[in-house]
Amino acid sequence: MHFEIKYNPAHSLAIAHLAPGESVRAEATAMVSMSRSLEVETNTGPKGGGGFFKKLKRGVLGGESFFQNVYRATSVPAHVSLAPKLCGSMVVHEMAGEDLMIQGSSYVAAPDSVLIDTQFQGFKGFFSGESLFFLKATGRGPVLLNAFGAIETIELDGEMIVDTGHLVAFTSGIEYEIKKAGAGWIQSFLSGEGLVLKLRGRGKLYIQSRNPNEFGKAVGALLPARQG
Amino acid sequence: MQHTIEHGPSFAWLKVALEPGEQLQAEAGAMVRQNTHVEMTTHLNAGSNAGFFGKLFAIFIAIVRKFIGGETMFVNRFSAPSRGEVVLAPSLSGHIIHHPLSGGKKLFVQTGSYLASTGDVGMKIRFGGLRSILGGEGLVLLECAGTGDLWINSYGGVIPIAVNGNFIVDTGHIVAFEGALDFKVKSVGGLKSFLFSGEGLVCQFNGQGIVYVQSRNLGALVSWLSPMLPG
Repeated sequence: MHFEIKYNPAHSLAIAHLAPGESVRAEATAMVSMSRSLEVETNTGPKGGGGFFKKLKRGVLGGESFFQNVYRATSVPAHVSLAPKLCGSMVVHEMAGEDLMIQGSSYVAAPDSVLIDTQFQGFKGFFSGESLFFLKATGRGPVLLNAFGAIETIELDGEMIVDTGHLVAFTSGIEYEIKKAGAGWIQSFLSGEGLVLKLRGRGKLYIQSRNPNEFGKAVGALLPARQG
Repeated sequence: MQHTIEHGPSFAWLKVALEPGEQLQAEAGAMVRQNTHVEMTTHLNAGSNAGFFGKLFAIFIAIVRKFIGGETMFVNRFSAPSRGEVVLAPSLSGHIIHHPLSGGKKLFVQTGSYLASTGDVGMKIRFGGLRSILGGEGLVLLECAGTGDLWINSYGGVIPIAVNGNFIVDTGHIVAFEGALDFKVKSVGGLKSFLFSGEGLVCQFNGQGIVYVQSRNLGALVSWLSPMLPG
């Protein structure tokens, strides 16, 4: 199985090419088109991905759709094309031993050789209105990630502060700490940055050039109030 | 201050290398990433030399903006004891333009288009007339003057137009314009066309100077989205 990415940076589309017998698991809403020969199964994740509640946790807290579709090629090669909800780029991260922490809404697809698990990041995220939920990918193989805007890959060796809304994913050699952006709570709130991640260590880091929450706030503030 | 603009025109961001003693001011919420030793402080955007009444006015504007939609009027200031990097991004898709200021030249910036500035670039809030407040897609401007760098962001692509004489731009498509230009906010036709033409308000420029025009209009996106919402 391999992913081919087209139309970066603004309106990316990924095509998963499957040999007979291979499969790919994708967010339920991501499918654009597919070969007729593909078998589709909707489930709550791969075997070994935890029980029902663990999967529910991933759906509710992870910002990722609870149900995932599995696309399996039968006796002939086949493909399925996938697209994220927002404008932006996609990137393939090759898992080669190190785990990958993925911001909930940045995950698109992976083969069954990659296990997706939830890491609960505490309650701070609820107060700030920022999603601080990560999915943890383990195993080997490609993981398809999407970004809101352009994507930057950084080989981190040291420290960096990243806005929570701009983080896409980082490898497990990087330690993270959630902290206030300013000196105190009021300053952090007024600064518009809220919470940031302080990252430390060595590894790969993916950052997106736009923040979905900031976009939502900019547009949402101008929309009529929701009824009921 | 060294800077680069990357990922334009669709998803541009601004990378700034801060040297010791330099200060960068940015719109609240714009920080993408920074070095850990870069210090950030938050201020009310009343201008560095604003007195008590200036600050009071800024608070008043902040409240008004809160209701008609727009920025918080808070800014963050970044500095670094040793060389450090800050990356800034606007909230909408689009490009970033670098417009250095000097020699008493001014730039009027639509408040949503201000991204960052350096040096002693000062800012004053200006309304484009009463109609702009009532019109919804109001023209609220930051009058920027001083000596230093200024970065502005657009929604969509941005076209610098060298005006010589008369020129009319939809208020929703204005990013910024030079202070040498006279401007007047008006409706395209009479009151009837103000209410029914869909063009809303326009800005009529007179004189010589650059107008930065953006290829998308946030008001148009909002009016397209609004009827789609449930309820």
